Amino acid sequence: MQNYIWFILLISCLFSMSQEPTYLVLNHFDQEIPEAEKSLIKSFNNSKFEFNESIKNIFLDLDDFDNPASSHMDIIKELGAEHKVNFILLNKIEHNDDRFVLDGLLFNTRSGGLIHRRKIDLKQYLNGQINELIMWVGNTLGVQQKDWQENRESILFSDPEEIEYEKTPMGAAIRSLIVPGWGQAYSNKKVSSKVWFGVEASLSLAFILSYYNYDISVTNFLKNSNSYNTTDDEKLVSKYRSEAESDWTNHIKYSRLAIALASATGTGWVSNSIHAWVFGPRPYTNIYQEWGSSSKLEEG
Amino acid sequence: MKLFKNLIFISLAVFLSLKAQIKLDVNTIPNRVNVFLDGVNLGRSPIVNERIKPGLHKFEIKKSGFAPLSYELLVNPAQAVKLDFFLNPIYEVKFKTEEKGLIFEVNGEHRWDVPLVRLELEAGEHFLRVFKIGEIIDEQMITVDEPKRFNYFLQKPLTSD
Repeated sequence: MQNYIWFILLISCLFSMSQEPTYLVLNHFDQEIPEAEKSLIKSFNNSKFEFNESIKNIFLDLDDFDNPASSHMDIIKELGAEHKVNFILLNKIEHNDDRFVLDGLLFNTRSGGLIHRRKIDLKQYLNGQINELIMWVGNTLGVQQKDWQENRESILFSDPEEIEYEKTPMGAAIRSLIVPGWGQAYSNKKVSSKVWFGVEASLSLAFILSYYNYDISVTNFLKNSNSYNTTDDEKLVSKYRSEAESDWTNHIKYSRLAIALASATGTGWVSNSIHAWVFGPRPYTNIYQEWGSSSKLEEG
Repeated sequence: MKLFKNLIFISLAVFLSLKAQIKLDVNTIPNRVNVFLDGVNLGRSPIVNERIKPGLHKFEIKKSGFAPLSYELLVNPAQAVKLDFFLNPIYEVKFKTEEKGLIFEVNGEHRWDVPLVRLELEAGEHFLRVFKIGEIIDEQMITVDEPKRFNYFLQKPLTSD
């Protein structure tokens, strides 16, 4: 395992000339973390930094001691006196497979004792090391910035219950329930959108026509029946009877047809909504064989 | 007078035993997660001003929808220990292919040869390996960053938009 130990002198609030405590920050990383120095300087621009890589292999075996604070008291006091600082902040960053561990220890240089220890342990925190280091150093110095917290939240994976999608299958289903085909159009399925709209519009139109014909048949039947009952003319009686019988047959035919078309329209409407939900917008990634061809991912 | 001495003695003993313990704060992301210390439930995070003795301790953090975390920590004598645990979410992932005769393997653990499979994977990168007639034909890393479906193809279509 490679060991990098960086010696950083951080003098808090140097320019305010106040009696703020001063810190010596020691960073011990098992892997090189690019931009770490630059990020610290940028994040604490009120402080003065001096970087030095001459100190190596101290505090490496900290957990092997029953009392690590008292075991290192002399070194801590010496470093404190040498650099004229009140506190020493040791940051150990280790990578264990896909886990990232930040172990932060704060020592008081007057007593040489360990006064605060903070441990962060997390899996697959991609590119989050520097942000966590800055947050921990800032926490020790009493400085917290909102964008550090926001940066942490943007790097961490989201709680599955809190993930919000711009388009959802339920959104598609509701749209299709309002207007057939709208949910499919919302999911960018234009052909099926047109087909559903066309089918439902045709069925609805056919139902309306059937109902209209049924209504006319009923009206004519009542009119012819009435005329049949009130006339004495044999020819007219025969004519009204024939027309009334024809109207009766038509009214039954159109009634059945309207019921069948209404059922088909309703069933189709619900099916269209279910179809919109089943084939609704869901996140996906297309993976193509990487070996022997150029690898590309497509996300949606 | 004797009672008074006893009270002072008991108070001193309690004070010294508390002094030997270390202040413990536990934060987790997400919040409101059950934190177990050596099998004892400390309650839901954030845990503030709890006490812990120096030595080896085992922390277990569990929440539905997240990978459980078990962590052994050697607590050194200090004034305070603050622990931050970040739980990794588990996402439901579907893996689909229309290619024939392929066998898939994720992280060397899960293996399948059916066209559609549903997996629960921890967020992050996973290693995918593809076999055909007993030979490895593809290896690549896939990133699971939300519940989603993966469609696997041997060739990219010529007319893809």
